[in-house]
Parts: sequence; structure tokens; C-alpha cells
Amino acid sequence: MPYTSAAASSSEDPDVPGEPLKEMSDQTLVVAIGRWREDALAEAYRRHAGAVFSLARRVLSDLVSAEEVLQEVFLRLWNQPEKFDAERGSLRSYLLAQSHGRAVDLLRSEGSRRRREEREARQTAEAGYDLEREVWDLTLASRVKEAVAVLPQDERCAIELAYFGGHTYREVATMLGQPEGTVKSRIRAGLKRLRSALTAADLDLAWPQA
Amino acid sequence: MAPSLTHHELEELLGAYALDAVDPDEAEAVELHLRECPRCHTEVLTHREVAASLAQVGSAAPEGVWERIAGSLEEVPPKLDMARVVALKPRREIGGGRPRNWAVAAVSIAAAAALVIGVLGVKLIDQDRRLRTLTAAVDSRSLETTAMAALVDGAARRVQLKALDDKLLGEAVMLADGSGYLLRTNLPTLPVDRTYQLWAIVGEDRISLGILGREPTVTAFKAAAEVRALAVTDERAGGVTTTDKPPVVLGWVPAAKPRSA
Repeated sequence: MPYTSAAASSSEDPDVPGEPLKEMSDQTLVVAIGRWREDALAEAYRRHAGAVFSLARRVLSDLVSAEEVLQEVFLRLWNQPEKFDAERGSLRSYLLAQSHGRAVDLLRSEGSRRRREEREARQTAEAGYDLEREVWDLTLASRVKEAVAVLPQDERCAIELAYFGGHTYREVATMLGQPEGTVKSRIRAGLKRLRSALTAADLDLAWPQA
Repeated sequence: MAPSLTHHELEELLGAYALDAVDPDEAEAVELHLRECPRCHTEVLTHREVAASLAQVGSAAPEGVWERIAGSLEEVPPKLDMARVVALKPRREIGGGRPRNWAVAAVSIAAAAALVIGVLGVKLIDQDRRLRTLTAAVDSRSLETTAMAALVDGAARRVQLKALDDKLLGEAVMLADGSGYLLRTNLPTLPVDRTYQLWAIVGEDRISLGILGREPTVTAFKAAAEVRALAVTDERAGGVTTTDKPPVVLGWVPAAKPRSA
């Protein structure tokens, strides 16, 4: 049974309220994980594994590697829950940042040239990717989509290639035939513009808003 | 080796850094900077939240991965650094190779058992440590959130707390009603018999705003509107009522009218 555990009951956890796991906030859940409660890890997995996996798969275009990343991200949460700092934002964005970082590491690691070439071939076959397609199927997709639509084409393109393509801004600059400094600025400006648009759309970014 | 970059150059890198799109030496330079610049730190976190909202694609996790994770939890004591030893091969590929030498396998099992016994003691201590960290993080969450909300208040005045050598070691924010927050600081931890103390400089007077402890975290304070500057001193534990000590950090409070919202 994937979501059960023989770990300590909540009555033995003075730091973890005795509420059902499904009603716990992400932060409380992480405290429970700190108590080695496997059911808490399972609940965190239930909430976030889909997004963690999807992002890794998007970057790597490879199912098996993306599964590796997914596994690694949650084992890291289990082993080092204190690395998640509630002051640093939501658990979701923490896990996604881990997933992205690890996926990009794999992509850039030694001997990954072939992996990258294969991936690019697959992406060509799949007619590429774009931000609009990335977010189409979510409840909040329409709002994110509206926010993305606010971006000038240059900024959008730079963010797509960097985030979903896993390229450095220098690589993006080469790909687009634009100066590195320009691309660097566009990524930053684009992210700021997106944030304004998302905030204007009243989308809860969880942090650092009140 | 991290390149030497100006603050402006570092700022320009923050977006790309948040998307893991910088070279390793640039990443190192940014990380060093983030430790001492709360504002840039906040910007990176915000970029990551934005990126996370883009990444929220709704497909389900694949079958079988949870079972592999749960299996690893049982087999390996959690204290071990599994980031490096994770068995990443899909299950169907495991079992293809049996140990070439059973004697070697037996020795490995015995060694692993010894390791488990050794680790259990460590685990108890480690559990306490990581719980303390976690509960502290949760406790400070609401205050942190309030303080961050104060930062985006249009009338907020931000105070950069700098050491004598001009190094930025912290930041505070003050609102029109006199309430203020000391944000994340980068002050070195003091010995147990010392504490940091926060002061408002009003005219020529130094008015204590509070004891910060030896490892300051986010702290709320209340100060009069005519505060010229904020300062932090290093005092004996328990704090003092007056001080002549030179401040560890000092930050001038900008004029009440903010330059921009």
C-alpha cells in the first residue's frame, strides 16, 4: 500500500498537530517528515510528485531520467527536510526548484551530449514546446496563460529556452543570435513582468505575499 | 573561482540564476552575494515562485516510483546521505546482476548491519537537530510573512544595515505607523554570554528597541517616527539600558516619503 505507514502515530509527535495528514499545511507536513513519518512523505508525494515529475520530464524529454529525478527529490526531502526553509517560499516551488536543478545537472553532466542530442531530436519530432502548451491543462492555466500572453515575444522565448529547454542564458543568446547581456536582462525582466501579471490576476504565489 | 562582479552585474544575473541558466562560476558568485544581500535573495525566491507557477503541469506521477522510494526508506537508514547513493535504476533493471561473489556480499551485509547500529544513535541526535530547525522555521513563518508584506507597503522605508567596512549585513523595514521589522541578517553568531541589541538613534539619543539574541532572526519592533538611524550593538547577555559601544551595523533611515512605491 503506497500511502500507509507504520510510523509513529501523531500522539507521539508533540511538534505535529494531531490533525489528519490531508488537512495539514505543507509546512506541518515537513515537520512530520522530520519525525521520520513515512505517511507524511507519502502525502507530500501525493500533492507534488506530478508537478515535480512533469517539470523534469519537460526538461529532459526522457521518462526514465525524469523518474530518477522524482525519486531523488523526494528522498532528499526525507533525508534533509531541514533544507526546506519555510521562509524561502512554498514547498511546491522548493521541490520544483530541486527538480529543475537536478534535471539541468543531468543534462549538462559529462557524457550528456548524446542525451541532449537525442532529446533535441525528440523535441523536433514533437514540434517543439512553448509556454502556452506547457500550462494548458491546469485549473489555473488560463490565468497563467493570460499572464504569459503579456510577455513580449523576446522575453517569452528567452524564458522558454532557459527554463524548459534547460539552456544557459549564453546558450540561449547563441541560439537566438542576440547579445548575452540582452538575453540575461530579458529573462529577468520577463520574470518580473510575469509576476506582476500573475499578481494582477490575483494568483496566489504563496510567497512573499501576506 | 567566482568572478568578481558589481552589484548591478549580479542583479542582472538573478533571473537567469533562478532558472538554473547561469554558468557554474556565475552561480557561485550569485550564491555568495545572496548570503549578504536580503533584497537580491528575496528577488531570486520570487522568480522561483513565478517559475513554479509556470511549471505546474498537471500530469500524474508515473506508476511505481513511490514504491521504489518507500522501498529505499526501509532499506537504508535515513541518516545516510542518500542523495549520492540513491538506487536510481528502475526496478525492472534490478536483479539482472547477482553478486559475482557471495562471500563479498556476506561481508557487505555484515558491514551494513554494523553501520545501522552505529547510525541509530546518531539518528536520535540528528532528529532533534532537524526538528528544532523545522519548528523554528514554522514559528518564524508568520512573522516572516508579515515582514515581507511590510516590504511591499508603498510607504515602507527600507534601512540597509551596514558594517563599518560598508558590508551589507542585514536589512530592516519601517512603516509609517512606527512599526518595523528586522529582516534576515547575516551577523556572525555570538558566544553564549553575548547578545545583539537593536537601537534607534533619535536626535543624539540611543533608544533600545530590543534584545536580538546571539543569532538574530526576523524581529518586530516599534520606533518613533523621527528615528534617524538603526544600529545593532554586541552586548552582554540580557542586554543593557544604555550603551557606548560602537555599533556592529548601522543603517540610516531614508526620509519618510518613499522614492517609489
